[in-house]
Amino acid sequence: MNDQPIHQILCAVRGGPESRETVSYAIDLALETEARLTFFHALDAEFLQYATIGPLSVVYQELMEMGQFTMLILVDRAQRRGVERVDFIVREGNVRKQLRQAAIETKAEVMVLGRPTRSPSRNVFDFTEMEAFSDELAREGNLRLLLVPEG
Amino acid sequence: MTHLRQWGLLLSLAAGLFLCWPRDGRAQAVETAVTPLLIGYIHDTQAQPVIGATVRALADDDTVLAEIETQADGRFAILLPASIPDTITLQIHRAHFQQSEFPLTTDQITTLHQGQPVSLADIELQRRITPAFWAATLIFVIILALIATNRLHNTLASLVGASVIFAISYLGPLLHEDLFIFNFSGALRYVDWNVIFLIMGMMIVIAVVERTGVFQWAAFMAYRISGGRTWLLLPILMLITGVASAFLDNVTTMLLMTPITIQIALSLGLNPLALLMPEVMASNVVGISTLVGTPTNILIGSYAHISFNDFLVNLTPGVLLSLVGLIIYSEVIYRHDLQASSGGISELLLQRLAERGRITQPGHLKKAGVVGLGMILLFVFGEHVHLLPAVTAVMGATALLVWIKPDIEEMIEAVDWTTLVFFITLFICVGAVQEVGLISFIATGIGQLVGTNLVLAMLAVLWLSALLSTVIANIPFTAAMLPVIGFLTGSIPAAQSKALYYCLSVGSAMGGNGSLIGASANMVTAGIAERAGSSLTYAYFLKKGMPALFITVGLAMIWLLLRFL
Repeated sequence: MNDQPIHQILCAVRGGPESRETVSYAIDLALETEARLTFFHALDAEFLQYATIGPLSVVYQELMEMGQFTMLILVDRAQRRGVERVDFIVREGNVRKQLRQAAIETKAEVMVLGRPTRSPSRNVFDFTEMEAFSDELAREGNLRLLLVPEG
Repeated sequence: MTHLRQWGLLLSLAAGLFLCWPRDGRAQAVETAVTPLLIGYIHDTQAQPVIGATVRALADDDTVLAEIETQADGRFAILLPASIPDTITLQIHRAHFQQSEFPLTTDQITTLHQGQPVSLADIELQRRITPAFWAATLIFVIILALIATNRLHNTLASLVGASVIFAISYLGPLLHEDLFIFNFSGALRYVDWNVIFLIMGMMIVIAVVERTGVFQWAAFMAYRISGGRTWLLLPILMLITGVASAFLDNVTTMLLMTPITIQIALSLGLNPLALLMPEVMASNVVGISTLVGTPTNILIGSYAHISFNDFLVNLTPGVLLSLVGLIIYSEVIYRHDLQASSGGISELLLQRLAERGRITQPGHLKKAGVVGLGMILLFVFGEHVHLLPAVTAVMGATALLVWIKPDIEEMIEAVDWTTLVFFITLFICVGAVQEVGLISFIATGIGQLVGTNLVLAMLAVLWLSALLSTVIANIPFTAAMLPVIGFLTGSIPAAQSKALYYCLSVGSAMGGNGSLIGASANMVTAGIAERAGSSLTYAYFLKKGMPALFITVGLAMIWLLLRFL
């Protein structure tokens, strides 16, 4: 880390077991820097187009609820670890776009993300996209991207 | 004014009388009595009636004396002119069959001269492979591949297939006469409207039920009853999912159960897949215990006239046996995950979970319960008055809409028209391969393999459909297999109990557990799990699901053999 003080950390995760390492890293960083920690979750429900039968409006609502609940669990976890200033954001739509928007809104200096894995289906971004996204964020503002290898 | 009305009434009665009066009735009766009539029945090599075959009676000089088409039951009755020539040849023409000609015997001609009807011996038409055969087969294989690989949405794939079939049927003959598959009205003959209306009715009922929060409530109750004991939570959730799947569509059940299950799992510090995999497998297994539980059962029930009761009596015990096996298997393979649960949950999360797990529309749920009970009674007892399940579903849906008075626009939107279009166009695509003879050739091939041995036929249908369902979408697969099973049922004396249809039901549904793409419910579960950071990959599903397939199909097989042998 450089010497610039960190006041806001944005941790973008899906929230399940695969996010454990990323979340732990973000919590450690928040404890170390005493920065506010905001967990971020974006719901991209494009996959529902393959549901031949389905109550889509109800399911969208359910997925949003699930996203909020998952983030609430992370907030609970961070609080138990001693992070005092912690909250979350849940958005719907294109993950990349929503993530940029959240970074601007929260004025985060650091964004913590899970590093892309070899399994493409598990990634929101692949390696190339991640690099492009990182450059994009660096160009647009004073925001550093920290990638955490998943467990 | 009164006079005018009276005159109007009189005129109406007179018109009615005129329309109903048997005009030339007497003359017609006399003519019928003396007009020579040829009666016959045409079938294919599988003893199935040949519909729409053109039957021509030709004189010596090939003059057409009379012409008629066979009816839906393959029968025809051809009226000949009063003056009968000494030689008559019957010519039978039907697309995708070899043209057949045979002369009437002297005795038959004499009988006709006497003005008596002649009943011909049954006529068997032989199939022939035409360019249309290859075109329809190729289109069908491409549709299956597009659906299996998700390259196109199911509905779009089958819609494209049906459109190409029509294009070939109407434009192809300009290039080659034998590129004709069937015309529009011929295609509509293959659409099973009983299936369409049954699915539509059930969709409306589901649309009401899903908004009541009953799924979330049931899942939360499972959590409460288990008291955090994950080994107990697992079978309770499987049972809830199974029972819901028996009456509702599996995809809908999993769409609603997955988010709340993930929340419960994460609250308990559990790997969500340890609950989701058993749930979706239970959904695929228990869904077939009723007629309305899966689209494949709806297809089978309508085609083979298998009632709601028949499914309950002939399949449910086997399904319960499979479920017990599946629960034990799930407890064993997920024992480490279940033991690894942290067990603790903060008050805040518990409160939030309780808020999520409550009935949001109790009034609607009560009404839906009453109507649902009425529908079940009609499904069970309706067969005594020949009440079709589709009629029950439409009546139930209407009753619910009238009673609850929801926003009708919203309810109509809740009907998944995309799915209904999928079914209609799929019926047309399957109809095309049936029309050109592909299904007939497959049926003959399987028939030659199994002979008249019911056990062999049951095992072949059960395991073949189970294994193929892991890679082929089970709805088009089942739709294509139905005429094959129909042929086998007709050719194996002991199969009249419809045992093979039950084997198809079990195989095509439980086979869905063998791979991620084996069932739509698997795909949506994986999609939601992915959004919550739990990857349900193809390899993972195969590893956990394939043994489950062998266990559940194996147990169901034991029941089916005990039941039908």
